[in-house]
Amino acid sequence: MKNVLGVIGLLVVVCLLTALASEHFMTGRNIENLMRRTALFGLLGLGAAFVIVTGGIDLSIGSIVCLVGCLTPYLVVECGWAPGLTVAFVLGVAALLGVVHGLLITRLRLQPFLVTLCGLLIYRGIARGITGDQSQGFRSGFSDLRFWGNGRLEVGVFDFAVPAPAVVLAVVAILAAIALSHTVFGRYLRAIGRNEQAARYAGIATDRCVVAAYTVCALLAGLGGLLFVFDVGSAQPADFGNVYELYAIAAAVLGGCSLRGGEVSVLGVVVGAAVMQVLRNAITLVPWIPDAIEYAVIGGVILAGVAIDEVVKRAVAQRRLRNSV
Amino acid sequence: MPTRSVLAILLCFVAFASSACTRHEASDTPTYAFVSNGIDPYWVIAQAGVEKAGRDLGVDVVVHMPASGINDQKRILEDLLTRQVAGIAVSPIDPANQVEQLDDIAARIPLLTTDSDARESQRLCFVGVDNYVAGRMAGELVREALPDGGAIAVFVGRLEQDNAARRRAGLIDELLGREPDPTRHDPADATLEGNGFRIVGTLTDQFDMAKAKANVEDMISRHPDLDGAVGLFAYNAPMILEAVRQAGRIGDIAIVGFDERDETLAGVSDGSIHGTVVQNPFMYGYRSIELLHQIDSGDRSGIPADGFERIPARAIRKAEVDAFWAEKKELLGT
Repeated sequence: MKNVLGVIGLLVVVCLLTALASEHFMTGRNIENLMRRTALFGLLGLGAAFVIVTGGIDLSIGSIVCLVGCLTPYLVVECGWAPGLTVAFVLGVAALLGVVHGLLITRLRLQPFLVTLCGLLIYRGIARGITGDQSQGFRSGFSDLRFWGNGRLEVGVFDFAVPAPAVVLAVVAILAAIALSHTVFGRYLRAIGRNEQAARYAGIATDRCVVAAYTVCALLAGLGGLLFVFDVGSAQPADFGNVYELYAIAAAVLGGCSLRGGEVSVLGVVVGAAVMQVLRNAITLVPWIPDAIEYAVIGGVILAGVAIDEVVKRAVAQRRLRNSV
Repeated sequence: MPTRSVLAILLCFVAFASSACTRHEASDTPTYAFVSNGIDPYWVIAQAGVEKAGRDLGVDVVVHMPASGINDQKRILEDLLTRQVAGIAVSPIDPANQVEQLDDIAARIPLLTTDSDARESQRLCFVGVDNYVAGRMAGELVREALPDGGAIAVFVGRLEQDNAARRRAGLIDELLGREPDPTRHDPADATLEGNGFRIVGTLTDQFDMAKAKANVEDMISRHPDLDGAVGLFAYNAPMILEAVRQAGRIGDIAIVGFDERDETLAGVSDGSIHGTVVQNPFMYGYRSIELLHQIDSGDRSGIPADGFERIPARAIRKAEVDAFWAEKKELLGT
């Protein structure tokens, strides 16, 4: 919990500042937009967290988002597949890609960075090849299917409705929290992240756990891709989901996951994803922040946030040390 | 205690922010937004037009350029609605699949499309060039440069954009001497022949500059007999020029481009590019804001009956380039 306080503080500060700078920030519609975007990026972040906790990395998340995002409308609209079958198929493909990543990493002992970097290149290439580089969309149809990406669950207050992806995220986050904190599997993943060799000598089937972690990550990337394309309505193979793996990894690390492995917080990851979405929202809402410096603002605020968090933590630790002496 | 120091830092932030942002909340002049389809110097010229209109009309304007495709454009449009701007002019990235969102905006505030249209949406009108006519103009430039015909390659960012598709249709119809049909779609990799011209292919680069240049290099390798290269988006002509220059084929491969990049104009000026078809992004920006303000004030007389506010394109050859360049510099105030 302590690791999460910093990022929650950062989110609160960013929200407060934006609310002060723009009267439109705290409107029902805007909060709904932010919840939807946070949910979509949060799913990717949670996937990344499963891999990062084992000390690994997955760079192919954005390309899996692209592959699933392009394949889904392609199969449903161009090829006339049944929506249910398509969803099962694309999620199956995503999960299978994760299994392949895991096997290459555990059996062939290839570096996760390399395996998933190649995945990044291959899956986007496949998406572009299959679709002939043409954008794929639902052409304003399939609104039932698209509900889980752009649907709203009315609550009857203000202009606010709970976005459907937020419900998906809530379910996934609860399952992830249980899996990571209250199951043997979760404990094994942490153990692998802290010291894989020690974990193996302790009798943990580390290979199987690592394969499972990459599978969960790819599956969640696929689910994210599915919901992204349901939300946006179309996907361009060349840029859909581009660099989303960095947003996912950043959300996970911002939310308290150590890139060295062994540490994870589901709540932190979701809050980390929210911080980035609020920052991007602020740049459009606040009149005096020019668009052009968007990335500089996001980078600067996050860096300042984690730096302050670190300084505060150290001051606390020092004071504690002094008090105990 | 830690909570106290966190609180202190928080308060500093709040104090800073509130001092920085009070001046903007009081104004009650309407704000109009202009949203491009990407980041490009072309849009900077449009931005100059938007800002000039803002000053002339005494209204607030904002310009947004989505950095990463359709997701980004969707987010920006949502946030502009949240911000309650009084009207939006947008260049939709994928019109066929954005109808829903555009209609949602059009139901709340005046919405125009600019540069690239979304015909099926409820937008009030389209401010831009007739891209099919502009494509034909480019075709005429190619014919001037290659009176005996030849093998032509076409380069463009994205073909799914309405403006790109129509420019390409106009160019090909003009070169092959076919019946005019602005909505015809030839497959990108098809070889099309007629009238002495052979279109060897259309390559897309999705706004990736390195790819745009590599496309030209690859086409030169694949078709050593290439006689002409046409770039349909602003950055394509400079990329073609670079690749053709590196291949040592200047003067041998005729280049025709679109828009008014400095590199393109320099190429036209020194003769390495035969000509370029220029739109008027400055007027897109200016006229969009002018129309939005007029509509927002309750006067809809400015909307053309066919929903198409035509801003004509011009062909710039060596003879016209100096005067045109001077005009561009004046508009940008550089």
